[in-house]
Amino acid sequence: MDQFGTFEVFVQPKEGKPFQHEGIVHAPNLEMAYVLAKEAFTRRFTCISIFVTETRNVYVSALTDGDEDAYDHVTKVASTSGKETFEIFHLLKRGKQHQHVGKVEAGSHNEALWVASQQLRGNKQVFNIWAIKTSGIRFTKQEDLDLWNTLGEKKFRDAAAYKGGDKLKSFLEKTAQQ
Amino acid sequence: MNNEALKELLYKMADDQLILGHRNSEWTGFGPLLEEDIAFSSMAQDKVGHSLALYTILQELGEQDPDTVAFTRNAEQFHNSLLTELPNGEYDFSLIRHFLYDTAEALRFEMLTQSSFEPLAQLSAKIRGELRYHTMHANTWIKQLGSATTESITRLQKSLEYALPYALGMFEKSPFENALISEGIFAGEQVLEDKWKRKVEEVLAQTQLQLPAWDTITPHLGGRVGKHTEHLQPLLDEMSEVLRIDPTAEW
Repeated sequence: MDQFGTFEVFVQPKEGKPFQHEGIVHAPNLEMAYVLAKEAFTRRFTCISIFVTETRNVYVSALTDGDEDAYDHVTKVASTSGKETFEIFHLLKRGKQHQHVGKVEAGSHNEALWVASQQLRGNKQVFNIWAIKTSGIRFTKQEDLDLWNTLGEKKFRDAAAYKGGDKLKSFLEKTAQQ
Repeated sequence: MNNEALKELLYKMADDQLILGHRNSEWTGFGPLLEEDIAFSSMAQDKVGHSLALYTILQELGEQDPDTVAFTRNAEQFHNSLLTELPNGEYDFSLIRHFLYDTAEALRFEMLTQSSFEPLAQLSAKIRGELRYHTMHANTWIKQLGSATTESITRLQKSLEYALPYALGMFEKSPFENALISEGIFAGEQVLEDKWKRKVEEVLAQTQLQLPAWDTITPHLGGRVGKHTEHLQPLLDEMSEVLRIDPTAEW
């Protein structure tokens, strides 16, 4: 297992909601990562789409402490030629997930953060920023969208649905009486 | 509508899903990597879920309730294809079986979305997303390992050659083929088999695996009429173990 790289998984819970980071999967390549991520992260609840990218494609902004805003550490970078699209993600609450906020055109990851600071910085404090090259992402294709057109909530996949505790309790009560 | 023909079709489909669902679930906790363990187990649950849906339709046609049907019949009363009952062996065989079976499963349900029997057409449409994932998962693995290393290619090739005669047994003709076709319930095993062969060829062509000429393969038949290998009864015994110990148990 340690020979496989890691891939970051992003999930869109419903129409109109942003994609957010859910976790990682191990896989030999991007396509396998997509296939494994689908079931690892979206088998229990309904969602409408996912995408994955190799962990090394995620450019992480400077880490911040306390009330610092990550954008305060972003410095101006001279615009370079050979622009590409980058997807930008914000961490708005410590301990929560990074959320997709938009895309920018830039010649490098550093420039992407700078352009994001000009175009995507809102009123809310941002604790951390991720920039990911769009070309390195395996998005959900149009024909794959019905992967989530399925039987809805699957309670039988949650341990709680089996009420194991209740069954154990009544069993113990029953045996105590005997 | 010809109920006998319909029941025969529903039983073989439900039994296929139940038996392979159970077989695949034997990998839970033993999968080659955590993510794959989760995905394979989840698809096994899907299959058992599909069998429940099919047994429920059968109950509406006058058969016994799904639990009774699933857990109290003997091997000779099951109509699953032999392919589904074979032991898991190594992961290469399980993956090849998953690919060969799920390709047929998805095509069969796709054909049945057009069925004149409304409950089956509705179910087929409802589970389309799950089936799409099953074939996507199978095809991705086969393409990956079918072109990866000498070991992976050799192992898959060996499993493929072992599994193909059993896979062709999935299309064993029903005594009711003509009735099913003429009443628009199902377009028939021959149509399905032809579609399946084209799809299998298409995926394997993207790998280094060699598909033997179809006319050199003799199908292993018998499953659809209750003639099973020695592997089915022990599986049924294990599956019904809890029920036999305590018929009132809930789980």
